[in-house]
Amino acid sequence: MTHPTPPTRGALRTAADARRDALDTVRRAIRIRDEWIDEGLSALPADRPAAEAAISELYTRVRRPVPRFVWVPSPAAATDAGVSARPTLPPRFDALPRHRDDWPTAGLIAAQYARLGYRIGEVVSLRRRRYGTYLFDPWRTDAPEQAVRQGTDAMLVVSRAVIPALTRTVRDSVLVPLRDLLNSEGGDPSGYSCFGQHGVHQVGAYDLWRRSGLLRFRPEESEALDVWTALARSCGWWWPGDEVCVVSERPVEVRAEPAPDGGRRPHSLDGPAVRYADGWGFHAVNGTRVPEWVITDPTPERIAAEPNIEVRRCAIERIGWDAYTEAAGLRLVGAAPDPGNPGSELRLFDLPSDTWGTPARLLLAVNGSLERDGTRRRYGLTVPVDLPDPVAAAAWTYGLGPDQYARLQRRT
Amino acid sequence: MPMTTVKPMTMTLSDLTRQTGLDVLDHLEMDVAIPVLAGPQAQGDLLIVPFDDLAGAVTVPEWARWRPVPPDGVEVLRGGAGGNPHTLVAEPHTCRWTEDVGDLENLALGVLWADHPVHLMHPEHGGSGIAPGTYVIRRQREGRGRTTGRVQRMYVYD
Repeated sequence: MTHPTPPTRGALRTAADARRDALDTVRRAIRIRDEWIDEGLSALPADRPAAEAAISELYTRVRRPVPRFVWVPSPAAATDAGVSARPTLPPRFDALPRHRDDWPTAGLIAAQYARLGYRIGEVVSLRRRRYGTYLFDPWRTDAPEQAVRQGTDAMLVVSRAVIPALTRTVRDSVLVPLRDLLNSEGGDPSGYSCFGQHGVHQVGAYDLWRRSGLLRFRPEESEALDVWTALARSCGWWWPGDEVCVVSERPVEVRAEPAPDGGRRPHSLDGPAVRYADGWGFHAVNGTRVPEWVITDPTPERIAAEPNIEVRRCAIERIGWDAYTEAAGLRLVGAAPDPGNPGSELRLFDLPSDTWGTPARLLLAVNGSLERDGTRRRYGLTVPVDLPDPVAAAAWTYGLGPDQYARLQRRT
Repeated sequence: MPMTTVKPMTMTLSDLTRQTGLDVLDHLEMDVAIPVLAGPQAQGDLLIVPFDDLAGAVTVPEWARWRPVPPDGVEVLRGGAGGNPHTLVAEPHTCRWTEDVGDLENLALGVLWADHPVHLMHPEHGGSGIAPGTYVIRRQREGRGRTTGRVQRMYVYD
């Protein structure tokens, strides 16, 4: 009998080998992340048999009888599904019955899910502490592969630059807006709900750690994770009740665009960005949740009354900066030719602080390069209020003095 | 400081896309020579400034890790909607780039050093030619309040 060749370790591996392996790992992690982003934004009909099987498995694991399933078209419809599965209040730890047998099923399932998260989160933070975070510029989260080429540890790159895009895509730009919406509509989001496809910022991230080979899981954790990933792949939000489990379908339409961090963000200029079969959902522009009027009927009056700056900016871009400054009657502080951008003008306006909050001025600039239709796009930037003229304002946006900016040779 | 250094052979956008394999939008003018400039120039939300112009504000520590710009370029910054990157491209062995920079204004993305003309490319903005020398690449910001003291600031993603 021959012995298997022992794996080569240490001595023969060069730094270049290690870097190449790290690069492979990070690329694999990015692939897995994108897979989960697709799941999180999926608008396919729910895979009901798979979802019901996975939920039943969870009930069995906490030794509870398999529930009856009620399917609803959207999370908003769950609260008026008319079933007693209306979410139970989240069990406060000190308020829980003494014996687990008396716990509500939701509490048991929550505990099981939390245990999974604790175990994995613990290992990740331990590793992160060991490798330190000082080698990675936190704002350079847009180029994970470059970070690896520069010698940053793969684990660190994955946790700082790969997974955040998943979190931002699914949790920050879909899950949180939907919860806000449910809150504002007087729904009952206080109960324990599981988020199915919109929980992939956790479940998907755990799976990413596992499949990229960066973390080794114990078999029992791996099995538990399999159940949760199966749920994330098959349905929307769900509420584990004692006898009845309410499960939501996935949206029927999700429109998104690529985001700068490598993830995606909801964006639609005609109709809702996320829409469920019963019409529930929200509008979004470049990842910002906006009221419907921003898409359908943006007017200067509505813009002036809008307290949220992001929403206001989206609405202004819909009608155009020039049209807005005119319609809103902003006071022109000054105008000057844009250095390096022949034929274009920089214009500086005062922003009324009663609607815009912190005092600021508005600088309107013109793009150096042509749009596809042959025009140049005008865009607005807010600048501090004590900048006296347009050139000083434009210079400030790059941290220069006015005379330095005036020497600008070319703008594209 | 010479304002413009004329290089014997200038590049066009089509030369650049052919050399680097990076694409630009097809409505840009492909066959106009890209001027190679030694002064400050802007590309969308980025600004290329000669290092000496910012002496005092931007510093490169001694331990800074310089690396050669690889053939497929360095992504200096990935843009906003559409995720379009600004990419620094150069002939092999002519350009080095470091992100280990200190900037009082916190706007510098990095510093480049080149002994041949190099280019910064963007799918929507086309190319900017950079003459040999040392330059800072800075990004753009917005803000409210006053320039001194507490200012609310945010970066611009074009």
